[in-house]
Amino acid sequence: MDANPIALDVIGLPKEKIVGNICHDFICPAQCGQCPITDLHKTIENTERLLINAKGEKVPILKTVARASMDGKDYLVESFVDIRDRKKAEDRKIALIAYMGESVMRVNKPLELTKNNLQSLATQVSNGDYDAEDIRMQIQIQANNIGKIAGNLKELADKFSEEREEIPEEFRQFFIGK
Amino acid sequence: MADAVTLQIQDDSLLYLMLAPPDRINAMNISVIKNILSRSCTPIIITVNQPYKVLAKTYAKEGIDMEKIYVIDTVTQYSGGICEHNQKVKFVNNPANLTDLGITITELLKQIPSEKKCIMFDSVSMFLIHIPTATASKFLHFVVNKLKLSDISGIFLCVEKGLDPVILSQMSAFVDKIVDFEKKGLDEKP
Repeated sequence: MDANPIALDVIGLPKEKIVGNICHDFICPAQCGQCPITDLHKTIENTERLLINAKGEKVPILKTVARASMDGKDYLVESFVDIRDRKKAEDRKIALIAYMGESVMRVNKPLELTKNNLQSLATQVSNGDYDAEDIRMQIQIQANNIGKIAGNLKELADKFSEEREEIPEEFRQFFIGK
Repeated sequence: MADAVTLQIQDDSLLYLMLAPPDRINAMNISVIKNILSRSCTPIIITVNQPYKVLAKTYAKEGIDMEKIYVIDTVTQYSGGICEHNQKVKFVNNPANLTDLGITITELLKQIPSEKKCIMFDSVSMFLIHIPTATASKFLHFVVNKLKLSDISGIFLCVEKGLDPVILSQMSAFVDKIVDFEKKGLDEKP
């Protein structure tokens, strides 16, 4: 029946191309006969749904639907918020957490292995089975590895500092607790 | 000293991912080598942790005959050590040089006359210091494909809980069996 300018903007069509059309498969991905409100009798209040825009893209929205009656006719009043940016931030958050997890993994276990290698080196020095060059090589490998691990940590820190401005507020709170 | 437990590697052409705590990974290495040799299979060790010279002494102490073993050593040059070439060892300048490592694996597999060969990678966890998980996964996939096509067995040693879930799930898909060294047996992968 009507749509406000923000709705038109999100849908990407002028009002005259929207008004009078059936919502199924047009702006709403639900199939005919599967309307969550009129057919399935569900309540939609601040619920994540999808809206199909003029390009056929599915836009994530936060939607509330209220029933209204005017002049004896039933209407659905749908209000929604475009949450594409929030979704993007969430995806980035998941990617960042996965990246951080992977980086920590590349530090944690190798450090444990390095510790064990150094302990084993201490034993090798005391039992005299290995010559000075054997010991030197192994110490050098462990030193190089620690250097690599430090490099991996720096890479992680750089990644976060480079993109600090882009990290969403809630993600920053998650990390630094304020 | 190596663990007295003998790992039962049941098939000559299967691929295994073997997991152990960090303090048990060397024991697992020795146990696996003994098992490979006991099956009259020729082991090819890709070492990213111990230089060939040290590995040879460690194995000799465990009664393992180095004459039966081939090694691809990625750390002697990395440590500034001298690469003493012989037919049983190939050197790669550092563990991150995947091009040379890939070429060396291919060459060595062709060079070894034995019909039964087994590659042991020691270890995936140390490998991840040098290259990111995504790159490691691609490289290991390349190695696995090479082994599968040639019907050669492959054993990838790894520290338990030391793999990113993504690479662990990918490796679980590549390999035929996952072995927990602490459980002292073979578990069929889910």
